[in-house]
Amino acid sequence: MSFIRAIGWIVWKDLVSELRSRESFSSMLFFALAVILIFSFSFSMDREAIKELIAGVIWVAFGFTGIIGLGKSFTVEMHNDCLEALQISPASKGAIYLGKLLANLLFILCVEVMLLPLFMIFFNLELLEKLPVLLVIMIGGTLGLSALGTLFSALTVQIRAREVMLPILLLPMAVPVFIGAVEATRGLLSGQPFDLYRPWIDLLLVFDVIFTIVSFWVIDFVLDD
Amino acid sequence: MIWLYLRWGGIVLAGLVIAGIAAQRYAAEVRPITPEQLLGGEVSGRTRVIGMVQPGSLVVAPEASPQGEMEATFELAGAREQLPVHYLGPADDNLRELKTVVVVGRLDTAGGLFESGRLDLVPNYGFVTAAYLVALVPLALFLFLMERRVAVLYTVTKATTAYKPEVDSREQG
Amino acid sequence: MSTFMLWLRKYQGWFGAAGGLLTATGLYLGLVASPPDYYQGEVVRIMYVHVPFAQSSLLAYTALFGASAWYLWKRDPLIDHVAHAAAGIGVFFTSAALVTGSIWAKPTWNTWWTWDPRLVSFTVLLLILIGYLMLRMFIDERERQARFAAILAIVGGIDLPIVKFSVEWWRTLHQPLSVSPRGVSYAGDMLTPLLIMAIGISLLFTYMLMVRTQLLYLRQLLDAKKGRLLSQAHL
Repeated sequence: MSFIRAIGWIVWKDLVSELRSRESFSSMLFFALAVILIFSFSFSMDREAIKELIAGVIWVAFGFTGIIGLGKSFTVEMHNDCLEALQISPASKGAIYLGKLLANLLFILCVEVMLLPLFMIFFNLELLEKLPVLLVIMIGGTLGLSALGTLFSALTVQIRAREVMLPILLLPMAVPVFIGAVEATRGLLSGQPFDLYRPWIDLLLVFDVIFTIVSFWVIDFVLDD
Repeated sequence: MIWLYLRWGGIVLAGLVIAGIAAQRYAAEVRPITPEQLLGGEVSGRTRVIGMVQPGSLVVAPEASPQGEMEATFELAGAREQLPVHYLGPADDNLRELKTVVVVGRLDTAGGLFESGRLDLVPNYGFVTAAYLVALVPLALFLFLMERRVAVLYTVTKATTAYKPEVDSREQG
Repeated sequence: MSTFMLWLRKYQGWFGAAGGLLTATGLYLGLVASPPDYYQGEVVRIMYVHVPFAQSSLLAYTALFGASAWYLWKRDPLIDHVAHAAAGIGVFFTSAALVTGSIWAKPTWNTWWTWDPRLVSFTVLLLILIGYLMLRMFIDERERQARFAAILAIVGGIDLPIVKFSVEWWRTLHQPLSVSPRGVSYAGDMLTPLLIMAIGISLLFTYMLMVRTQLLYLRQLLDAKKGRLLSQAHL
């Protein structure tokens, strides 16, 4: 089975199973709703203070939501020995990784896009004209989280205490993603000229490229059995 | 095992000796004395005195001396006594009213005036001691516990024989 | 008993003795014989422990990274013990470096914590090391434990420079980079105790690594002899 086709099949498989059960999607969405609600209680309606903090709030919500989705992407494989089936299939481990990465990216981005109207409502943000750049930042940040997250999810699904270990391993390593995404979002939302916060987006892209490649190399060792 | 304990006893001893010498040096050279102790005649020669610059007593010469030094007179206040100080030395922003300073110099016993050529900062030895204790004591403890465990493991592992799973008697023959 | 372990046992004493002597000399020179720094009073003496400890924690991660890469290449279980030992010692040195750095910061800048890039990078390093040890704790099969831990160490090693770089960048944006513990300039005669302490603590680190590697190896050997590892093929 050729490489690209294997990736395509894995993405298709995840999409179909997700559309049928909507398990991952709904847990991500409702968790994010709860997070946003709690944040909106935590800050009083002081517009100036919110402007300072909203970028961080957005990315905390996206980050924790993403971790739930990333964790689920491999735990669903544990039923009915699907993980073993993947491992012995002729698809290369790299293809499995990229397929899972794309599927995760799609799911988490969908949830994030669905959350944007909520942010606009709860925190009174003007996002419509900033949407294109915001999408770029979201893709960059989510790709960074997913690149490492898919690798760590594959790793932690095979050990004890898997729900706890994924955030513990992922969050320290994803610090550059959060810094870059928050700074870029803050620059965007406060109306700065593009060139001023562009370097942060570059940081995100560099991180994404480096860690997608590194995880792609390393996934063979993780799915080795 | 004996050597382990002897070695570590020696290390602890050496540490205490160094700490003792450091403490002694601190008391003799570094720790500043109060004006009460100085006026009470406890020490003479070059000394370091700690106190607060008494508000209203600070008089600074408007021009620098020919060598570019600052000249000032003030009262250095301790808990009960005050020490008149004449300072002639490098210009220092720390010489302000209500600020705690350490003056380094000599007491002129005839006139009762303290001649100072230098100011020093108030020493913070509590922090230094804390940092060293936090760093070195756990290091020694960690190392000692590891060495002891390794020594025990060496003897125990040598003594233990490999586990032989029980062979079902029906399998033989 | 493997020859590597016996070799370690034979030579560890040299490292320990040299490290101990240099550290003692450095302590004596630093605490007793050297002058206080004019701008910071006596507090600069904390640098004599903080800098060597920070250096050793970076040395520990380098050892961890190297041993992990070697393990993935050669699959030698003894090297896996070296990696595990390096991580444990790294946690110790990193926490001590952070605490001593914090104690130095309080009298110097009147704050216990500052968002200095080095402090944040060291905190991330500490979290990565703790994650490594936790990962090891939660996997029972030795071969899988070694393999996964090695992967984590390598990914972390690639990540750390990026973390340091991005935090530095972020910090310069929000606050001009004030003096960090590394940025202090040292008077000439303060350099000697610092150098001696740095070399001494590094030698002590090597000694600790050798001792701890043997400890982990012996623990596993004991488990094997008592028959607790019979279910695992790879030892």
